[in-house]
Amino acid sequence: MMFLANPAGFWALLGIPAVLAIHFLQRKAREIPVSTLFLLARTHRESSSGRRWDRLVPSVPLWMQLLGVLLLAWLLAEPRFQRPRSVQRVAIVLDGTASMQVFRESLTQALHEKLPPLQGPAAELDLLVLESTPGRERLYHGSSIDDALNALESWNPGEGTLDPGPALRIARSLIGRDGILIFATDTPVENPPYDARLLAIGHPEENVGFTGLRFTQEQGAAVWHALVKNHGIAPAVRSWQITYPGGRSTEPRNIELQPGGLISLQAALPPDQESAILRLSEDVFTMDDSLPLVRPRPKTLRVFRQASALGELEERLVQSLDAVEMVHDAAEADLTLCTYDPLDPALPPGDAIVFVHDPTRAGQYLKGGIIAEEHPLMSGLNWQALLVRETIQLDRQPSDEVLLWQDQRPLIFLRSVLLENQAPHQQLCFNFDVRHSNATANPAFIVCLHRFAESVRQERVAPSSSNLETSQEIELTADPEFPASIEFTPLHEAHTTIRDLPASRRLRFEAPARPGHLIVKQADVPLLTAALTFADSREADLTHCGSADTLGDASSIPVERHTTADHWWRAWVLALLAALLTGWHFSRPRTSSTPDLSPSP
Amino acid sequence: MNQDQLVACHHRALAAAGRLRLPFRSRVWRGAAGEFGGAGAGSSLDFQDHRTYVPGDDPRHINWQAYARTGSYTMKLYREEVRPTVDVIMDTSESMFFDPGKATRSAELLYLATESSRAAGAAVAVHLIRGSAMRTLPLGEVFSHRWLETARALASSEAGSIPDLSRTPLRPNALRVWISDLLYEADPEPLLRVLAARHGIPLLFAPFARCESDPDWNGNLEMIDAENGNRHAHRIDPPVLKRYKEAYVRHFAVWKSTSLRHRAIFARVSAEPDLATALYAEAVPSGALESSLG
Repeated sequence: MMFLANPAGFWALLGIPAVLAIHFLQRKAREIPVSTLFLLARTHRESSSGRRWDRLVPSVPLWMQLLGVLLLAWLLAEPRFQRPRSVQRVAIVLDGTASMQVFRESLTQALHEKLPPLQGPAAELDLLVLESTPGRERLYHGSSIDDALNALESWNPGEGTLDPGPALRIARSLIGRDGILIFATDTPVENPPYDARLLAIGHPEENVGFTGLRFTQEQGAAVWHALVKNHGIAPAVRSWQITYPGGRSTEPRNIELQPGGLISLQAALPPDQESAILRLSEDVFTMDDSLPLVRPRPKTLRVFRQASALGELEERLVQSLDAVEMVHDAAEADLTLCTYDPLDPALPPGDAIVFVHDPTRAGQYLKGGIIAEEHPLMSGLNWQALLVRETIQLDRQPSDEVLLWQDQRPLIFLRSVLLENQAPHQQLCFNFDVRHSNATANPAFIVCLHRFAESVRQERVAPSSSNLETSQEIELTADPEFPASIEFTPLHEAHTTIRDLPASRRLRFEAPARPGHLIVKQADVPLLTAALTFADSREADLTHCGSADTLGDASSIPVERHTTADHWWRAWVLALLAALLTGWHFSRPRTSSTPDLSPSP
Repeated sequence: MNQDQLVACHHRALAAAGRLRLPFRSRVWRGAAGEFGGAGAGSSLDFQDHRTYVPGDDPRHINWQAYARTGSYTMKLYREEVRPTVDVIMDTSESMFFDPGKATRSAELLYLATESSRAAGAAVAVHLIRGSAMRTLPLGEVFSHRWLETARALASSEAGSIPDLSRTPLRPNALRVWISDLLYEADPEPLLRVLAARHGIPLLFAPFARCESDPDWNGNLEMIDAENGNRHAHRIDPPVLKRYKEAYVRHFAVWKSTSLRHRAIFARVSAEPDLATALYAEAVPSGALESSLG
């Protein structure tokens, strides 16, 4: 198959009318008086009158010049011939952000128009369609454009703002340096990396949607607060309502928002309802038009307190923790608050917070620098204001992990306790008497206690419910004996998808990218009941969307790679020169070298 | 052509007439007494023949020596000397003057024929002819160089038509000098018959320019007819030009062969070289001119 590397070369064909015009203009340009017209008319009647084309037919220079123009146009057009088995690789990285939902149809149409020319002169097209979301499987790999476009129908972008760089890098590595890499998005970006071509198919749109949710407890009732924002550039009026399970809904109520304006909606969740859906009247971007919510219920933390002199501190700690249940049996407790007695140095077997109780008079203040070790419990905490007196110390074990030092003396360490058939337990040990220090006035101390209590709560296998974001990483502690399952019901859809998770102590998974309700079960017991909401307001702002197309830059490069040059080009050049010389030979004026004084017959 | 150019032509013709003249000596003339040999017996010094005396003959020409020998009267005849009669017919069609060189050469030929005739004492009549229009000029008008204005004032019924010689008052026994480029599509036969009528001696001077005999035409040309100014579009390429040249040669070959049949002297005179060179090229060899020195 033949291709033209430079189709613009055919503009040289304009030389044909130019040559014809020159030949006709020659007739007008040369006016000569003649006395022997009757002789000319007698011998050359076909030239004396008649159609113009008749005058052109016998002209050798004219035909030579026309042939020259044709050859020149042919040479300038750079004809090339297809290499056998040449493949043009094209990778399309689809912007997986949620705003692409608005322009998915436009993208399909644009690709339907733009993809076929990209095959260019190659014998085959190798098409790879990826999503910019890391870790996703490729949407399509094959040679059929129609199949690739069909694959887009099942594509459901819903991610928050993310960097397409990694996906572009992977795509570039798959198609090689000579492949055409396309980043399909709704927002123009300058100079996409990895030599990617840009296909932006967006345009500014108005959008109003939910941007956040929080719960508070007011007078014993759970009150939700939802923020609604107008992301557009024009005032907007929307109606909203609440829908409870079972189909009961409130009356729609209108809200008016100025450009960029925010409105907070709030109401108490009825005691008999565990979940609800807030709905806004729909616009082009539907992901933030519904806000599912559930009554948040964290895991209950069972706490056992040993009677000690630190009772007031422990009381304040327990009160500051959410969802705490006091138990009177250490065996039932998730967290034990206890003090170290040198006369009875045995510590409880499970998770515990251990304080030192030194009934003797305290010693001098400890000297030396306070240094915190790298540990999640210590992260970001400032202990420099801590003043500690010398007291008795806990018996340290080699496996203890010191978290805080003052000079050579460990102040806080973490002890791991291994029990048979149980997960390792952690004990946070304060190796000084808190009463003889200013720790209770130190925020780092309080935060450290809370962190430990929450880590213990997280390790507990217990049901909970919370409001999460779409695509959020979720980590749950589960019974390693049983497999778990994830049941997800998207909004506006009746069917529920179920996904199984293998039995593990830690269940880690990513929440679905679409708003809806999620239930994680283990042995038919719910571990987590969650409402997933879309909360990336950057994606909800569609005013910065636009269009751009740099695919045209890629069309000329593959021609030379997939084709071979015309081996006859030298012959065409010689033919062009021959045509020009022949035309010149026949058109040059002929004069005899010596005057003929006696032309008589 | 302006007056100065005509004067210059006249001077060149006078110079040429000092060396060349019309073929008066190579012809036998009839007419009034003059200095050139006539067809009959006359009173010149040139002995011609003897014949028997018949009453009425001039007794001064009886050959008395023969009478003494034979006893019969024998007349001694001498050659007649006559004055030639020359009719100069000038074709004044536009084609004679469209090219500056050809116009100059045409004027020179007119002056040459007139001056040569006058130098020989011939009775000269000059006729300007243009198609069907004709005008006889007094010699003074020729030598005062006003003849061209008269020629331009001649109104022909049809520009470029064939000269109508039948209306020209040609005299008998005259040398009829016909100065024309002969570029019209006509049979030469009737024209030459008119010129040769009544014992006339046709003498044709045909001036020509190189742009006619060997043109350099090529490509599309807007040709303007010199006779009527009409424009004709032509596409000329080498084959067409070749055929034109062949037709040109054939045209004058017909004139030459027809001239031979009518015993007319035919001479073509090129416009490009100087007058003497052009005349010696063909006019002298063909007998249209003879040396005035011999």
